Amino acid sequence: MALLEVKNLTVEFGSEDKPFRAVDSVSYSVDRGEVLGIVGESGSGKSVSSLAIMGLIDFPGRVTADSLTFDGQDLLKMPAKKRRAITGKDIAMIFQDPMSALNPCFTVEAQIMEALKVHEGGNKKQRRERTLDLLNQVGIPDPKSRMTAYPHQLSGGMSQRIVIAMAIACQPRLLIADEPTTALDVTIQAQIIDLLLKLQDDSDMGLLLITHDLALVSEAANRIQVMYAGQLFESGPADSIFAAPRHPYTQALLEALPERSTGNDRLSTIPGVVPGQYDRPKGCLLAPRCRYANDHCIQDRPEVTDFNGRDVRCFYPLNDQGQPTGQTTGQTAGETV
Amino acid sequence: MSFLDTKPGVPLLESDDLVRHYDVNRGLGKPSATVKALDGVSFTLEAQKTLAVVGESGCGKSTLGRQLTLIEKPSAGQLKINGEAVGDLSDKDAKMFRRTVQMIFQNPYGSLNPRKKVGQILGEPVLLNMDHLGRKEREERVRDTMAKVGLRPEFYGRYPHMFSGGQRQRISIARALILEPKVIVADEPVSALDVSVQAQVLNLMMDLQEEMNVAYVFISHDLSVVRHIADDVMVMYLGRVAEKGPTEEIFAKPLHPYTRALLASAPKIDPAQRVKAEPLTGELPSPINPPSGCAFHKRCPFANEHCAQVRPELRMFEGREVACHRVEEIA
Repeated sequence: MALLEVKNLTVEFGSEDKPFRAVDSVSYSVDRGEVLGIVGESGSGKSVSSLAIMGLIDFPGRVTADSLTFDGQDLLKMPAKKRRAITGKDIAMIFQDPMSALNPCFTVEAQIMEALKVHEGGNKKQRRERTLDLLNQVGIPDPKSRMTAYPHQLSGGMSQRIVIAMAIACQPRLLIADEPTTALDVTIQAQIIDLLLKLQDDSDMGLLLITHDLALVSEAANRIQVMYAGQLFESGPADSIFAAPRHPYTQALLEALPERSTGNDRLSTIPGVVPGQYDRPKGCLLAPRCRYANDHCIQDRPEVTDFNGRDVRCFYPLNDQGQPTGQTTGQTAGETV
Repeated sequence: MSFLDTKPGVPLLESDDLVRHYDVNRGLGKPSATVKALDGVSFTLEAQKTLAVVGESGCGKSTLGRQLTLIEKPSAGQLKINGEAVGDLSDKDAKMFRRTVQMIFQNPYGSLNPRKKVGQILGEPVLLNMDHLGRKEREERVRDTMAKVGLRPEFYGRYPHMFSGGQRQRISIARALILEPKVIVADEPVSALDVSVQAQVLNLMMDLQEEMNVAYVFISHDLSVVRHIADDVMVMYLGRVAEKGPTEEIFAKPLHPYTRALLASAPKIDPAQRVKAEPLTGELPSPINPPSGCAFHKRCPFANEHCAQVRPELRMFEGREVACHRVEEIA
C-alpha cells in the first residue's frame, strides 16, 4: 500500500453556489522511498493541493476527497487532534521562501527545538543535542555557533537548510517540498536538491517535490505529474514523460523552453494565459490554448484515461511522433455538436 | 542633440572600469565598512546587440544596472554613451542621456503604480521628456507603443491589477520603449513569469530589437534564457568579471572554473546533456570582506597557493576574456 494516497481531492473557494475549484479531482499516490514531482505553471493548484494534505486550508476554503489516506489512515476522517499529531511529525513540509518561513524573533535553536518539543518530548539537553545533530546532517558549517543565530544573520541557502532541518527533525515518512529552491541561486539550488535527495534516500522517505521548473523535476523525480488549472493533465515515469509527452500541454510546455529551441530564432509559445477564476472554459481547460483543439474539446471536458501506461486527460493523446491520435472520431463528434 | 546620435566606429555603450562602493554602518561601536558591490567592470555594447550579465545574487549585476541607467553615480570609472563620458556632462545634458538608456524591472507586480491607468503610466515619460508634444500627440504615441508590444487599444484606460503577469511585463516593456531608447537594461525581465508566458515575452523582446534597433543589457540568472537571447555573455563574481565572450563559445566551452560550475549546476531536461559534476561547495563570500587573491579561490576545485594570494586580472585567452591564473592548465 502506498504511503500517501489521494483520491479525487478537490479544493474549492468562494460561495457554495458558484465555487472556484482551485484543485479539481486530483488523484495520486506516493510510496516510501519514492520522489514524486508535481509540475505546473502558477495557478495550476500544485501548492494548494499540498496545503490541503497538510490540513492548512482555512475557512472559507473547502477540502473534499474520496479518500486522503496516509499509511492506511484517512486524514480527513480522523479527529483534528490526531491529525495534528501526524502532520509535522510523519508528514513535514518545506516552504518556498526560507526567509519568511522562519520566525525572525527566535534563534535557529529555539525554532527547531520547538518542533521537537511538541512531537518528541524529552528534556532540553536531549533536544539541544538532537538539534546539533540535525544541523550537522543538513550540512551547516560550524553548527555550534549557528545554533544561537537569528534568521536575518543567515543567507538564503543557509536558511533553507535550517527549514529542512526543522522538517526532518521528527524523522517524517513523507516530506512535501513546495518550490524549495525557487528563491535560491543555481549553485545553491544544486546543493539543496542534492541534500534533499540524500536525506530521502537515507531514511527511505517519500518526497513530494512541487516545482515549476521542468528541468529540475526531470532530474530529481521518479514519477512526474503535470498539472494545469487545478487538474491533473498527465502523469508518468520521469524518464519517459518528457521524452515522449502524451498530452498536448506537456508537449507545448517543453517546446516553450529555450533549451528546446537552440538554433531557432524564436521560441515556440503557448498563446494566452492560464484561465483564472472567471474565465474557465466550458470544455477542456486547455482548449483555447491548444493547437489541436476541435469542437469536441471546446464542448466537453475530458476525463483522465490510461494511454500506453500513462494517465492522460485528453481526448486525443499524442503518439510517439507527437501527433494526436483518434482525431477522426473527434471530428465526427465535433460535427454532431 | 547631435551627441545623442550614433557615431560610426564608436561603441554605443562603453563601461570603463566602473566601480561602485557603498559605505555601510555595521552597528554601534563598530567601524563602518565598504561594500565593493562593483569593483572595476569594463565592457562595450554595440547597437542592436544583447549582452547578458549572469551571476549569483550579490555578484553586482543589479548594481551594474543601476549605474548604466544613471540612477546612481559610479564611485569611480567612466560610463560612455556614443563615446561621450556621462560623468562630465551638465545635469541638463545628463537628463538627455538618461533617455537613451531605459530599464525593465524584474517584478511586474511591483514596478507599476497600482493607482495609475496604463495610459498614464506610459504617458508620464513622454510628458516629462517630450514637453513639445501636445496632449493628442502624446496619447497617439502611447497607443502606437501599446500596439507595438501587443497590448490591445482598450487597455488604455485599465489599471495594472486587471492584467496577468505577462501582460504587465508588456506594459513595462512599452514604458521602457516609449522614449525610443538606444539601450534597454532588463533586470531579470522574465524570472517572475511562467514558462509559456516567458517564451512570449522573450520573443517580443527579440522582435522589438529588430524593429527598433535597441541594444539590451540582459541581467539574468537563467542560463538557458541567456543562451537563447544573448550575443555576448559576461559572467560576474563578487563585483568583478570572471569571464566574458560570445555566447555560443562560452556555453560550448566554459573556461573559468566558476562559469563551468554555473553551467553544471543548472538542471537539464535532456538526460544526454547532464554532466555529473561536483556541486560547488559553500556560498558567495561577503563583499564586505572578500577573500584575498582570487575571490573564487575558496570554492574553486583548481585553486592553489598563488590563487589565494594574487588577484587574477582579466586577460585574453582563446578569443575570450578570462580572469583566472590557471586557465591554460584547465583548458
